[in-house]
Amino acid sequence: MTTLRTGAAGALAVTLATALTACGGGDDSQMQVWMYQDSLAVVQKDAVERFNEDSEIEAVVNEVPGDSYEDRVRTVMGSNDQPDVFFNWGAGNIRPYVDEEILLPLDDLMESEPEFADSFIPSIMEAAEIDGTQYGVPLRGTQPVLLFYNEAVFEDVGVEPPETWEDLLGLVDTFTEEGITPFALGGSETWTMQMWLQYLVDREGGAEVFNRIEAGDPEGWRDPAMLRAAEHVSELVDRGAFGDNFASVSFTEGAASTLLSEGEAAMHLMGSWEYSTHLDQAPDFAENDLGYAPFPEMPEGEGDPANVTGNPTNYFSVTADSEYTEEATEFLQMTDDDAYVQDMVDNGEVPTTTDAEEYLDDSPNPEFATFQYELVQNAPHFQLSWDQALEPEVSTAMLNEIERLFTEQITPEEFVELMAEKP
Amino acid sequence: MSVTATRRTPPESSGSRVGRPGAVWTLPALLFFGVFAVLPMGLVGYLSLTAWDGLGSPSFVGARNWERLLGDPVMHQAMGLSVALTTLSWLVQTPISLLLGVWASGPQRNRAILSAIFFVPLLLSTAAIAILWRALLQPDFGPLGRLGAFPDLLGGSTTAFLVIVFVTAWQFIPLHTLLYQGGARQIPVSLYQAAEIDGASRFGAFWHITLPQLRNTITTSSVLMVVGTLTYFETVLILTGGGPGTATTIVPYLMYESGFEGWEMGYASAVACTLVVVATAVSLAMVRFTGFGAMRSTREGM
Amino acid sequence: MTGMSQMAPEHGTEPATPTAPAPSGAPPSRTRPARGSSRRRPNLLAGAGAFLWLLVVGVPLYTLLVATLQRSENYMASNPLVPPAEPTLDNYVTAIESGLLGFVWNTLLVTVAVVALVVALTTTTAFAIVRARTRWTTGVFRVFLIGLAIPLQAVVVPVYLIIVELGLYDSLMAIVLPTAAFALPVCVLILTGSMRDISDELYEAMALDGAGSVRTFVQLVLPMSRPGISTVGVYAAIQAWNGFLFPLVLTQSEENRLITLGLYEFQGQFRVDIPGLLAAVVLSAVPILIVYLIARRSLVAGLMGVGGK
Repeated sequence: MTTLRTGAAGALAVTLATALTACGGGDDSQMQVWMYQDSLAVVQKDAVERFNEDSEIEAVVNEVPGDSYEDRVRTVMGSNDQPDVFFNWGAGNIRPYVDEEILLPLDDLMESEPEFADSFIPSIMEAAEIDGTQYGVPLRGTQPVLLFYNEAVFEDVGVEPPETWEDLLGLVDTFTEEGITPFALGGSETWTMQMWLQYLVDREGGAEVFNRIEAGDPEGWRDPAMLRAAEHVSELVDRGAFGDNFASVSFTEGAASTLLSEGEAAMHLMGSWEYSTHLDQAPDFAENDLGYAPFPEMPEGEGDPANVTGNPTNYFSVTADSEYTEEATEFLQMTDDDAYVQDMVDNGEVPTTTDAEEYLDDSPNPEFATFQYELVQNAPHFQLSWDQALEPEVSTAMLNEIERLFTEQITPEEFVELMAEKP
Repeated sequence: MSVTATRRTPPESSGSRVGRPGAVWTLPALLFFGVFAVLPMGLVGYLSLTAWDGLGSPSFVGARNWERLLGDPVMHQAMGLSVALTTLSWLVQTPISLLLGVWASGPQRNRAILSAIFFVPLLLSTAAIAILWRALLQPDFGPLGRLGAFPDLLGGSTTAFLVIVFVTAWQFIPLHTLLYQGGARQIPVSLYQAAEIDGASRFGAFWHITLPQLRNTITTSSVLMVVGTLTYFETVLILTGGGPGTATTIVPYLMYESGFEGWEMGYASAVACTLVVVATAVSLAMVRFTGFGAMRSTREGM
Repeated sequence: MTGMSQMAPEHGTEPATPTAPAPSGAPPSRTRPARGSSRRRPNLLAGAGAFLWLLVVGVPLYTLLVATLQRSENYMASNPLVPPAEPTLDNYVTAIESGLLGFVWNTLLVTVAVVALVVALTTTTAFAIVRARTRWTTGVFRVFLIGLAIPLQAVVVPVYLIIVELGLYDSLMAIVLPTAAFALPVCVLILTGSMRDISDELYEAMALDGAGSVRTFVQLVLPMSRPGISTVGVYAAIQAWNGFLFPLVLTQSEENRLITLGLYEFQGQFRVDIPGLLAAVVLSAVPILIVYLIARRSLVAGLMGVGGK
């Protein structure tokens, strides 16, 4: 009896020990590809499937929920279980990894495959270059932030999308009176609020304001344009532009987009991926009633109204310690394949390849694709999302203060002062 | 019980040494505790003197993190919020669980049935409870929001904080009710009978008998609550993410945010040190307060 | 004597075994439960209070269940308090198809491992602390006492560092080891309390029998401290089952995801499918519910024991 029990306990212990120490991802036999989880990731999942068809090794996609993506990547990068290929925002976003020599330089690839290297718009390629070395390859379409609106709601109320800041304020009042939230805002993630401030600062003061901050000069926060932009935010909040509940509305969980498609909100300032989000979640709405416009002009502002903000694109990088660097570089080269680009276009994206224009007519919404393409082509400046451009310790603090500004815990003046004085 | 007398005799003089375990019996646990609990506590102190971004190696920077900690308004706010959360939680949870526990200790069948329902939140994990409440309170898509205009409780600074107090109370009151229920069951019925003969009112009996008899349970439960508030972090992370802004950023959350979102592991460690110091003080106070022997005698209060 | 100890609890000498506070397991030597006040007229005020609390606990749970039975497409238009006309289990199917069972399985593995580790480590240590009573064991006891209130949240940064150095990042063991370590102080305390109540006569009888420490431990100490062990087991299991921060920081892959983290990630995955998300919440409680239904008494007793250290 006792022996039996001991035996059983021993067997259990062995089973447990095996199960418990098994590291995730079957990392020895599979190439791990980390993706930001959203409606655009189908393109990369399809690419992995095609890759696996002719490859000796198996690649698997690990989709990480958007809200915590960067934190998870950073945690895993500090460990011995790094992914082989991972999604990122290029530029400042990958600099810490470059500094620690975690990433594989892709210069060899660029040299040996000039055709591949030249297939992307040079400025887009450059955003993943750190100190003259290429570390990333564009994997997505371009993602400017646009003003989306619900055409049905606009028709019902009998108004047009805003072209100037005055128009926008007028619409806020009109929709509030109609009992419709003027703007959906996914305030439970702060980067959605950041989009507003990014545009307002750019319209008020041009690209220089943030460039100075990015270069490490905290005095840049005291620029008058920054204060004016923050004051516009307060004014919008005061006027009820975002409704009363925005702080609990989540974008990554789909609430903000649903408000727009259900007609509870009239407009939504969001990255161009909003289109594919609707295509995925509310296809009828995406095809019939989803309108889009550039961020309004601000006649008195110093910024060029043609400037856009958002993410030029996203990038794939390879870790230097990966067992599959060769296979990973093979995989990276799929991103300019016809099938891959076609997939992106079908999903409503505008590719960052030089021949993107040829594909626009194949888009499920060629008009939207062309609009987006021309907007980016004609933009003198494409401002990368602030939180991606800054080091994480600064951007974490900044996002907190932006949230406090939007929820009226601090005044615009306090916002500027607090940011300028961050250690 | 009859064991009392023998147990009180000095250990070294009674009984043979045969069958007594040697110090080696304590080694596995001690080593284990050393590596995964004591060593981290030491490391947290060391890391608080370094700058470390989680990728490279920590580099020594002296007291820089500590200087920053002293002047950081978010840290000051976080300490205030932590103290407020602990106090408010105690004020909310103790009376409710005490009254419910005493009530539930009655023998009536309906009380037993209700107690079983009261117990249900204990079956859910912290994460499940936080997610449940987050969904319930969502002003546009949550069940309450669909009934009509519902205020965005998690969007306001004060209301978000109160929601944390409420949700954690909802989660932990069942446990404390159980403790008080157990405690109240141990109060000799003869005390109440005597009080009844003396003509004491129900309230009088509660005030003069139940409460004093429960004082050890109150101590135990209060200590558990105070220690427990340090772990409310997970509720904060899921429900509010420390927000809106920093309105619900309690000290453990600030530690997590500066460490695993801002990647200033050194600063996060300095924040964590204050937690370790406070927690050690609580441990010592607890040991002192209840006394060594009291760790078993508290039970008699239950 | 029993009565005396209860009136003066701090000098009490009653056994610290958690059977004592069990709702129906009170030994006959104890006084009957305090029912004095309830023998009189019914306490309406207390009844009303309890009813109010029933609403606070019951209504959210009821809304939870109703929402999970609602078809996703009907959810927005329905009244949260009215049960659906055509209830569906689709949401539960969705939740299971999203890999929930695997997460539950991982959590069970972790829980069993933590409980086994904690019980193995604390029974031996508590035995030594109670029986050896040397300067060394007293010192060991003190070390554990100081760790009593230290929350594992406070040391997550160095634990991350240690786990990475040990090469255990993203394994279930990464969660088991620190979770178990932080459960030790409370469990040592509970078990020393429990083991002190084993009488010296019994030890002497074992000694006369020629039993060494191992035999004494196996044949006397373990069986006699079973109630304490079950309390320790319940406590450790709760720690493991509830753990969120360690899984969040120390694992990343789906294979090693625990249910608490799985639920957290479902928030992003289910998007506005609140019925689906809530169904996952309900399912996550099922294993504990089963344990509760099978072993309600010992679970309740175990929980009461946690408080009674």
